[in-house]
Amino acid sequence: MKIMDLKKVNDFTWEIQKDPLVGMRVPGRIFLSETLLNYLEPGAIQQVKNVATLPGIQKYSFAMPDVHTGYGFPIGGVAAFDVIEGIISPGGVGFDINCGTRLLATRLKLEEVYPKIQELVNKLYTSIPAGLGSKGKLKVSEKELDQVFINGAKWALRSGYGNESDLKHCENNGHMESAEPSKVSPLAKKRGMPQLGSLGSGNHFVEVQYVDRIYNQSVAHTFGLRENQVCIMIHSGSRGAGHQICTDYLRAFQSAAFKYSIQLPDKQLACVPADSTEANDYFSAMSAAANYAWTNRQMMSFWVREVLEREFNVEVNVVYDVAHNIAKLEKHKVDGEMKEVYVHRKGATRSFDKDPSYGIGQPVLIPGSMGTASYVLCGTKDAMEMTFGSTCHGAGRILSRKAAKHQLTSKAVIEDLKQKHVLLKTGNISDIPEEAPEAYKPIDEVIDVVNKLKISEVVLKLKPIGVIKG
Amino acid sequence: MKISVMSEGLGLAYVDGGPPLAKKNRGRYEFLEHTADVLFRAYGNNLNELFENSAEALESVMIDLSNIALKDIKHIKLSSDTYENLLFDWLSTILILFDVEYFAIRQFNVNIKETSLTADCSGEKIDTRKHKLKVEVKAVTYHELEIAQDDVYHVNVTLDV
Repeated sequence: MKIMDLKKVNDFTWEIQKDPLVGMRVPGRIFLSETLLNYLEPGAIQQVKNVATLPGIQKYSFAMPDVHTGYGFPIGGVAAFDVIEGIISPGGVGFDINCGTRLLATRLKLEEVYPKIQELVNKLYTSIPAGLGSKGKLKVSEKELDQVFINGAKWALRSGYGNESDLKHCENNGHMESAEPSKVSPLAKKRGMPQLGSLGSGNHFVEVQYVDRIYNQSVAHTFGLRENQVCIMIHSGSRGAGHQICTDYLRAFQSAAFKYSIQLPDKQLACVPADSTEANDYFSAMSAAANYAWTNRQMMSFWVREVLEREFNVEVNVVYDVAHNIAKLEKHKVDGEMKEVYVHRKGATRSFDKDPSYGIGQPVLIPGSMGTASYVLCGTKDAMEMTFGSTCHGAGRILSRKAAKHQLTSKAVIEDLKQKHVLLKTGNISDIPEEAPEAYKPIDEVIDVVNKLKISEVVLKLKPIGVIKG
Repeated sequence: MKISVMSEGLGLAYVDGGPPLAKKNRGRYEFLEHTADVLFRAYGNNLNELFENSAEALESVMIDLSNIALKDIKHIKLSSDTYENLLFDWLSTILILFDVEYFAIRQFNVNIKETSLTADCSGEKIDTRKHKLKVEVKAVTYHELEIAQDDVYHVNVTLDV
């Protein structure tokens, strides 16, 4: 499949026509501008097609404008499956279950924080465990970990890591009811126990940002954000617990897919019928990992809050918290009728038009690459109609990690960040090029596409002044 | 206003582009392009070698192998239904040894009979003051995981990082 085979539907929608010969049950739809089309890899197109072959898929196999080649599903992939005829696939969620983003707001202005940024970044770095194999600051027993799996961020509140209002502004209020720790393997628990309350490494970060530009004053006001305001963004996931849960079920579903005679174009797409016991077990374990990740972000928020209260004597509020690797049982309109579907978002963010805590569309948090802008958008009715209430999740890679290290040096990237007045603190200098802005698509272009398509509406732009990486 | 960059923690030095083992070990394993993750191709004259080389490739992504002492041996026994599933289980076990037991391996001695495997893995416990940690591998994937044979055995393995 080549890019020239894509059919242009409108300025930002490209269709892969349904090809029953390769088993496609629905067409594919990729949302891109002409500029972003240049970055589209044949591998990503193939992965959108592969997802379209899965049983019970509804409407389209979607890819958001930050799409790039992943494994199994493309990154930026969204697909919804019928609850009876459809499937659930661990590969459609990914290993880092509920990898997501949280935005915290302070009342501080840029001018108040900027002169002290070095001190603040240092304090945050020592307060939040980060890096390869990083362990949390507290030891939880297996019994306590089960409570984390069941209660999610509520466990963190009960243990003193925050207050009720934190979870009011959080996808699912920071916990999925469907979690069942008995469906989590002892190994996943073993991996999860020492890592609770840690950032991890790779593209995970804590950033000190400020509101650079507001595009929609009234929505920004509702979200409690104004120009020059200092915010903190946390990007992290479910650590080893989530990775192991995905590994366990992916492995188990290799034979289950055979048992249910599901033809797969790629083993990573291993799946089971949505109404099977196996699907229920995976969904229960995945929900437990999602709860772990929300707890994780809640605990890190607490440590951020401690630092800011100590250094600036200022309160810190949660603006919102979104998951971008997850499967959810949701109600959506298909062929004019509302029905329950399992929506898989693999590198995609929920973009619901109604958020009970704000009374308008939900905040959609889109982090940019290291040193570039991040955005707050707002969920829309169009997303509910078009994309099962979903939008993009970030900038999307264009350079492989290998190529990034080949083309860029840590020194050059650091120098570039300096020019942009961004302070970076990391325990791993050699990985800096992998996360350089040059390794990613231009975030502004990605945001422009989702905004023009109205699958989320841009509210404001955040710029970083300090980055903490693992 | 003065902006400075700090780095500390693991005491890591700069590295040049690309995993240094890729060229040196061409013929045993090599790293290929993948936009988001790490993709390597491992080779072997037989399945034992293919499994040993795949494991070394994985280990080399996570840690600098050059100064891992052969202090301790871990014995691994696995059984599966297909060679691909066995390879997935094998590599996942190596990853777990690293992530849970903090055990880094420099030498692998694999013996495969049917679709069962026994292995002796020599290495030592990770000491961040001595060892250079590299990239956090989240998991081994099944993406296009097919063992093929022409003049030698080969397999492409994608790691989620």
